[in-house]
Amino acid sequence: MQTIGRPVPRKEGRDKVTGQARYVDDLIFPEMLYGATVRSAVARGRIKKISFEGNIPWDEFTIVTAKDIPGENCVALILLDQPYLADEFINHPEEPILLLAHPDKHLLEEARRNVQLEIEPLPAIFTLEDSLNRKEIIWGEDNLFKSYKVEKGNVDEVWQSADFIIEGEYETGAQEQLYIENNGVIAIASPEDGVTVWGSMQCPYYVHKALLKLFGLPEDKIRVVQVETGGGFGGKEEYPSMIAGHAALLSWKSGRPVKIVYDRAEDMASTTKRHPSWTKHRTAVSRDGKLLGMEIDFVIDGGAYATLSAVVLSRGTIHAAGPYSCPNVRIKSRAVATNAPPHGEERFAESNKTSRQKKGMGFASFMHGAGFTGSGEKYLESVVGAEATADGRVRILAASTEIGQGTNTIFAQIAAEALRLDYDSIEVAKPDTGAVPNSGPTVASRTCMIVGKLVESAVLGLKQTLSGSGLLKENYTQEDFRQACRSYIEQHGALKSYSKYKAPPGINWDDEKYEGDAYGAYAWAVYVAEVTIDTVTYEARVDDFVAVQEVGKVIHPILAAGQIEGGVAQAIGYTLFENVVWKDGRMINNQMTNYIIPTAADIPPIRVFFEENPYAYGPAGAKGIGELPMDGAAPAILNAIENATGASINHIPLMPESLIEALGGESG
Amino acid sequence: MFKTFGIRWKEMNSFTYKRAANEAEAIREVADNRSAKFLAGGTNLIDLMKMNVQQPSELVDINRLALKKIESIPTGLRIGALATNSEVANNKLVQEGFPVLSEALLAGASPQLRNMATVGGNLLQRTRCYYFMDTAFPCNKRVPGSGCPAIPGFNRIHAILGASEHCIATHPSDMCVALAALDAVIRVEGPKGARSIAITDFHRLPGDTPEIDTNLQPDELIVSVDLPSSAFAKRSGYLKIRDRAQYAFALVSVAAALDIKNGRIEAARIALGGVAHKPWRSTEAEKVLTGAQSNAQTFKAAAEAALRGAVPQNHNAFKVELAKRAIVRILNDVSGRRVGGAA
Repeated sequence: MQTIGRPVPRKEGRDKVTGQARYVDDLIFPEMLYGATVRSAVARGRIKKISFEGNIPWDEFTIVTAKDIPGENCVALILLDQPYLADEFINHPEEPILLLAHPDKHLLEEARRNVQLEIEPLPAIFTLEDSLNRKEIIWGEDNLFKSYKVEKGNVDEVWQSADFIIEGEYETGAQEQLYIENNGVIAIASPEDGVTVWGSMQCPYYVHKALLKLFGLPEDKIRVVQVETGGGFGGKEEYPSMIAGHAALLSWKSGRPVKIVYDRAEDMASTTKRHPSWTKHRTAVSRDGKLLGMEIDFVIDGGAYATLSAVVLSRGTIHAAGPYSCPNVRIKSRAVATNAPPHGEERFAESNKTSRQKKGMGFASFMHGAGFTGSGEKYLESVVGAEATADGRVRILAASTEIGQGTNTIFAQIAAEALRLDYDSIEVAKPDTGAVPNSGPTVASRTCMIVGKLVESAVLGLKQTLSGSGLLKENYTQEDFRQACRSYIEQHGALKSYSKYKAPPGINWDDEKYEGDAYGAYAWAVYVAEVTIDTVTYEARVDDFVAVQEVGKVIHPILAAGQIEGGVAQAIGYTLFENVVWKDGRMINNQMTNYIIPTAADIPPIRVFFEENPYAYGPAGAKGIGELPMDGAAPAILNAIENATGASINHIPLMPESLIEALGGESG
Repeated sequence: MFKTFGIRWKEMNSFTYKRAANEAEAIREVADNRSAKFLAGGTNLIDLMKMNVQQPSELVDINRLALKKIESIPTGLRIGALATNSEVANNKLVQEGFPVLSEALLAGASPQLRNMATVGGNLLQRTRCYYFMDTAFPCNKRVPGSGCPAIPGFNRIHAILGASEHCIATHPSDMCVALAALDAVIRVEGPKGARSIAITDFHRLPGDTPEIDTNLQPDELIVSVDLPSSAFAKRSGYLKIRDRAQYAFALVSVAAALDIKNGRIEAARIALGGVAHKPWRSTEAEKVLTGAQSNAQTFKAAAEAALRGAVPQNHNAFKVELAKRAIVRILNDVSGRRVGGAA
């Protein structure tokens, strides 16, 4: 029975709907302690003294400082610059300094407030300009995490011959991911048994890698298990390594299981957000509408530590020129340091925009590369396994996480289709580094196209083994398959197959020159927004939204449309509502009452259309979809506002006060 | 292997709960216990208790008292203190005689909250200043003398009129802004008897005692709100500007009421929300409007007058301009409405 392209029930849907799904905060271990993090209150400084005050029974508490770390005090990611616990120097106002654990979480909270930190402040910087101008050097020798330069043709020669030159500077703000479930983990750790962590996360093997270094243990002594996860949006890519390490350190010292679950205020203030950015575009155009040259300067604020800024910057660099053919291009990009909490991945977005109630319509055409950028997928060497049981069931073994977006469901569809079996006969194993191979992180719109293809080839490996042993004929039924599995397992033992990533033919990337095929495939889209602007009260409202995209074959029409609708809604929030307010490097509106996200009443009908153009190297012809919808909504909405009012707005979020400035001349 | 701890579970602050059979009993209970509170819809008080902002030792449930009626009286309309926001907003007499009240109520909260929240409770809503709501911060309103972190902090939603160096919080209610434009009278009963308080005297400016929101005594029970009938009440409307379409407090709101005869404004009421510690009745704007021609020029002059004394904070200068424009917009709207056949 065909399952691709059909809206089959979600694999874990029943458990979620009936309340059977267990999230971190639902799990209680015997003898469990609660953990809390004591953070800096200044943006940059040197720790002079820590004292434990108040009427608190401090002898009952497990207290962990940098001195208690058995391995290396750094969060292993791209660079090893971020400590788990500040030892002497502090680089941002939410920097963890020490950890507390106690069985009573209310007393724990009181204790946290009674840890007195004496910190000698050092000059800090909070803006891109101050970082670029090196007002203070706060990171490395030049505040620069990473820079890229892309050159094509000779852009310096086009300006003279151009009929038109269009220039603009564009600014985007930080954005909080606001997943429904806050970050949380439980850890059990001891020198004898090693470290096991259960947590809400996108990338179990990132956490695994980080804990290896933190504890200096062999690979088989670290186990990371993803539990049911309530959303991620890129916000649970790198931060779970931090909170998992903290819980594990407390458990290591106390000898008891330790749970840390952030409340919303701590999660919003301390964990990663979308990078704020500044972009300058200069574009030469001929009278007949041809692009002659583009010069782009692109800077992102990475916060205090490198985290994944280089990866985000690389994707931004490659997408900066948009989906256009242009003979002469120069793109310069930089990720710089400020004394704010590190910014991390968020479902990617690149905003390169070309009566009283005024209506307008705006349009954006764009693309988004699926999978890791450049040689990323080659270095990842992702592996997916498949295992058949004696009763003919097939189980997928992958570390790719289900975070609400439908990983389990599409993997099962891809496997069922490839093997021509029932959807219900396919299971997807829980991501557990002790039981599944490393299929790479669940990010970068790679899960369907890259990992899904590995699922397809792994299950086809099972079929090949069965046919090769003469147990399965060309045309088979579900029952034939079951009997073949049983016979094979009786004769040879376990029936497993693994598949490892290989770049599709003709896809090459040069890391040195930074050129070639940055992605195996791109998803393409055209978005149209219709807005109403009230020129008296400055209320901006999106009335209608049309999203047309080509993402290869659509595996699950409801989940795919859901990705687009959710992404567009999130992007409307990014454009018109969500304003992270900073004071001395700290988010000060870290409550849902004052960090305003759109409600259902603010979101227009989102009309989603797919053009299906199967991609030869994707599973059943599919490409990536997750990040695509974030890219186009902001430029479409700003173009619609320009169409309505004549005001060209180059920064988001666009709050009523910015519209006042832009439209100040006209009033009611 | 493990140490044993004396665990002090502190899951909830304990309090006693009593259901009052009649008004006298309710008043007596609260008069006898300084830290007792009346409980009506609970949509604000229960939240504040959960967040440890308020810790009453006793709740006196008044929901069974016969204070729900909405009825005509010789001078106008009497609304029982326990009438819910939904009941008032959807009442025919309110919609016809006092449309601004219905519009204000429907601009607030969500349907679920409006079904629970009462008129009396709405009058006593506490500010949604985030520093007041979060016990991690000092706050002069919560802990007198501890300081105001909103003044140096993020104060986009805070007051631009009537604030003090001790407090820049705003009153969150939409309903009260409408009541301020309708010359409402609050009828209360206490151990010393009954009295009536004009809406403009009911809420306070912060001054140096921002911990006191209203001039109601703690043991006084609100029994009803009386609305005098008038020509301007019939021609009235409410405009709320907020950051999203639902479930947000006003950045700025305006209740406007006009009595227009032959193009001339005979009487006017203007009240602003989201700008001050109390619903801000602007007699300055009303003076400009009264006796003037009903036209855009007059409306602009009224808006200028209303905001003349505004003092913005670091993050909310835009509110001054926004409030002016909101006043002009709602006056345009209200002046153009058809009211009872006459215009």
